[in-house]
Amino acid sequence: MKLFRSIRFNIILGALIAFFSALGTFFPQSPVSPNKVELYRSLHPLGFKILNFFGAFNLYQTWWFMGLLGLMAFDIVVCKLWNKPPDIGATALPPENTDEEEAEKRLSQKERALRLKPFQFSMDSSLSFDQAFKKASSFFEDHGYAVHDEFYSPSGAAFLATKHRLQRWGSYIAHIALVIILIGALIKALYGFVEMDPVMEGNAVAMKNRPWTLSVDKFTVHFYKGTFQPSLFSSALRVKAGDKLIGQKTILVNHPLDIHGVRFYQASWGAAGMFRTVTLDLGGTFLTLHQRVPKKVPGTPFSVTADILMPDFTVSNGHADTASLDLKNPAVRFLFSVAGKPTPPLWLFSLYPHVCLKESPDGTLEHAETPPFSLASVDPILFSGIQVAYDPGYPWVILGALLWVLGLILLFYLHRRRFWVLIEPRGEGETQFSIGAWSSRGGREFEREFNSLMGQMKSHLNIMEVPR
Amino acid sequence: MNPELILIQIALAAYWGATILSFIYLAYKDERLNRWMLNLLGLGIVFHLASFGFRIHSFWQISENRYFLPINTFFGALSYLALAVCVAFFVIESRHHLGILGAFVLPWASLSLGIAVLIASPEISGLVPALQSYWINIHPVVLMTSYAAFGNAFGVGLALLVQEYQIKSRKPTPLCYRLPSIEELDSLNYRIIAAAFPILTVGIIMGGVWAENAWGRFWGWDPKETWALITALVYAGYLHMRYMMGLRGKKAVYVSMFGFACVVFTFVGVNFLSGLHGYLSKG
Amino acid sequence: MQIVVAGLSHKSAELALREKFALLSFSDIAQKIKSSPITDAVFLSTCNRFEIYASGFAGGVDGPEVLLSFFEDLIGKTSSREDIYLYSGLEAVSHLLKVASGLDSLVVGETEILGQVKEAYERAKSEGLTGKIGNILFQRALYVGKKVRSETGISVGQTSVASVAVELAQSIFGNLSESSILVLGAGQMAELMIRHLVTKKSPKILISNRTRERAEALARNFRAVVWPWENRQEALEEVDIVLSSTGSPELVITKEMVESSLKNRRGRSLFMVDIAMPRDIEEEIHHLEHVYLYRLEDLEHIVAKNLEGRSAEISKAKEIIESKTAEISQWFKALKEGRELSFKHSDRPKAPRTAAG
Repeated sequence: MKLFRSIRFNIILGALIAFFSALGTFFPQSPVSPNKVELYRSLHPLGFKILNFFGAFNLYQTWWFMGLLGLMAFDIVVCKLWNKPPDIGATALPPENTDEEEAEKRLSQKERALRLKPFQFSMDSSLSFDQAFKKASSFFEDHGYAVHDEFYSPSGAAFLATKHRLQRWGSYIAHIALVIILIGALIKALYGFVEMDPVMEGNAVAMKNRPWTLSVDKFTVHFYKGTFQPSLFSSALRVKAGDKLIGQKTILVNHPLDIHGVRFYQASWGAAGMFRTVTLDLGGTFLTLHQRVPKKVPGTPFSVTADILMPDFTVSNGHADTASLDLKNPAVRFLFSVAGKPTPPLWLFSLYPHVCLKESPDGTLEHAETPPFSLASVDPILFSGIQVAYDPGYPWVILGALLWVLGLILLFYLHRRRFWVLIEPRGEGETQFSIGAWSSRGGREFEREFNSLMGQMKSHLNIMEVPR
Repeated sequence: MNPELILIQIALAAYWGATILSFIYLAYKDERLNRWMLNLLGLGIVFHLASFGFRIHSFWQISENRYFLPINTFFGALSYLALAVCVAFFVIESRHHLGILGAFVLPWASLSLGIAVLIASPEISGLVPALQSYWINIHPVVLMTSYAAFGNAFGVGLALLVQEYQIKSRKPTPLCYRLPSIEELDSLNYRIIAAAFPILTVGIIMGGVWAENAWGRFWGWDPKETWALITALVYAGYLHMRYMMGLRGKKAVYVSMFGFACVVFTFVGVNFLSGLHGYLSKG
Repeated sequence: MQIVVAGLSHKSAELALREKFALLSFSDIAQKIKSSPITDAVFLSTCNRFEIYASGFAGGVDGPEVLLSFFEDLIGKTSSREDIYLYSGLEAVSHLLKVASGLDSLVVGETEILGQVKEAYERAKSEGLTGKIGNILFQRALYVGKKVRSETGISVGQTSVASVAVELAQSIFGNLSESSILVLGAGQMAELMIRHLVTKKSPKILISNRTRERAEALARNFRAVVWPWENRQEALEEVDIVLSSTGSPELVITKEMVESSLKNRRGRSLFMVDIAMPRDIEEEIHHLEHVYLYRLEDLEHIVAKNLEGRSAEISKAKEIIESKTAEISQWFKALKEGRELSFKHSDRPKAPRTAAG
């Protein structure tokens, strides 16, 4: 237990968490980029096995990393509950028992404790002891200080005056907040879910974690002029439980649909090789084709079929392929036949009207002469990537975050001040004040405030300073 | 030529001029140098702001970008960072007469803007849908403001190391008497970090809220997020070591400098790791 | 218009002679000037120099001769004229600027002289001794004195062991008003050091000596607290500066003592000065973190380097003085022609931490 309470252990623990978190950023993580993990596996099969054993490719979900986080949360609680911070502002003038005979001894200890305060002031007054005690405490109260821990004996009296005592709780609140955030994360890990549901425009898909179906009636994407950079994409989404419609909204990035805490995000979009129509430019006349529906080319013996669409055409191992699901380089394969006899398929590109690739029966490609027709346009059927997430821990995270901000504001931006005041009778109606002070900021800023407050106190008590 | 680029080049020249003057001021105790340095810095800030104004104007020509700040690109981010460092220094200097620290702080701002102008592309493009959120005006701005403060703390830490080394060597140069004292530098370093740390964490939390809104998760261990967390952990370690364990002086500065190294890596290095937050990727 | 300066300084005259002048009362001299043909005068009297700047004479008298006889008048014919230097015209102007800038001082660049020039001028003015030329000249001299110090390194670095120690303490703690000092030993050196520290507003001085009486005597002079010699280790946990100058033959503070106190210091710096022979403080202590131990020879070495550094700046200071002398000469010329030029007093920049003394 002592180990867990030591601040050194906590710092080492924090350093370990930082170190492993950093390590994780240098390996592809399977929840984020599974393709890269696969690539790594194929490039370094042995290295992959070893690293995978330690969970390097899903580091943040490994039991040991979770364990470190849990230990940290546990430690924060232990540390904050049992450890008193070395807070000068919290120390009283010692000691605090009330044995009358010991009063003299206690006072001398108080005086020594006072000597050690960073800011000090002492003065003599002609007020009587009782009066001095009352006037001094009322002075601090008038200046917005709370007076407490009063100690009174005929041989001397002492009290504490503090302001902005809340500052002290900042640290506690901030640490509790961290634990709440971690609890929120735990709740999410236990009860939350995330799923990715690609839905073709006009289709419906059943959810995995809820007995609901998603349908995208209309998917819209706009591009910045002359680029394939989307400026906006949105889905008209309907969510049904059985036959009952439970939610409906046109969702955009940053504007999800929320149904009882289950949120539907517009995450991605793409073309999967389906299209409604393509249009061929036959040198002035246009021919519109539906997918896989053969059509006669007017005035020729040919019939043509638009077969498949590659949204981001690339050649891999000599074969046609797509590099991504983005519409970066759309290409369509056309099958021709003359009197029922097929000729080799041709690939046409909507961005490059003069390029034409011929596909041989084994699938390899070669350049062909520019044909007398070109691909005028494609109307692809897009899918909308809907991410559905349920995070019951989120309100906890938000609560923790708010507490964290509150705690830090108290801790770092509030200026706590504390005065230790010791009053001793000096015979013949004379009373001596010794005052020590501490502030959470310290330094010159407080020095000025301290000096001016002591000046005011002197004039308030109407007394002369006497050399120490 | 684009007025934005002309203005920013003037600002860059002014920053470098101020930086060079601050180094001469280190070597020669001539108060005029300090004044010129500040004037030049102020001039640079004015031109920089003007340039930023032009950038916003052309950025908003694209209707989707309207009322979002142009800090989505590496250029915009570095430029804003340099501006924030300079303004923070200008404010701290004028309050505490710490012009002598210019040589420890201004090079980083000048370097940052220099990289922006010479290497990064100033091209303006439309925001991807994920960035079209009012959070873009808050989350990166808050974070970069804390980075700027950490940059200042780094400069203060450097000055402390110089001062400590001089006094330990028993052969102090005249510079020793002109730099602020070890204890002042130590407490300034601490106070800047103590003020910037809450800003950093608030920025990270805002990022989480935005991510929850845009991507459906508060935290996703994306490299940028992870490195921001590491940065916060290091600075939290610094605050704890200083406050709870009484770590001060040279060793405390080493810890805070490690924190700043994390800031730099979060800002620059992560672009080579992150898909989501990369200034170099399409975001 | 004649401008003449006559005077003697540490460079020209013996201490005994300078003392005679230093003892003269202000009002006596002022009275004697009023009854002399000098109509515009400022005189400067410090322990290192006595000078009269005269920039106006009644009715065609020979300025230098008037001044020399005035000097003889002051302390009788015993002073030989060889001890007295005389400058006139622009040479006198440039001499004044040099004096104000601290170039003519025993310790080059010292700042005290500027205050003394200012005081001398203000007193002469309030007595009605000065005229237009004198006013302009002295205002100009004060401006140049400040300018030289802010634009050259002539005043950088302290030039005595005690003030170097204080300046180092400031380089570690900044404003010393929050610091506390433990003084071990109650000898002369300790007293000198405290005197330097007191001007820096240090509120907390603990004096500890093997014989308590001497500590008490010293403590009374400086509102200091006497600390029991046996408890000095306890004080090590609290104080910022330790100054040791005891005559003890063995070490007064050992490494063990400092090491054990460091635990409770929470990383605050500890500045230790050992000016005792033989040493009071164990040398190894310097290698502890946060502890800076300076010995007498370290301080002396810094003094020597500072003096060297100041001399290296003399030529820069002279350049400024030359150009300002030339400006004044232009002004004189213009005045002769009946025009009056105005000087450009550029605003004085704020010096963040200038060395005093």
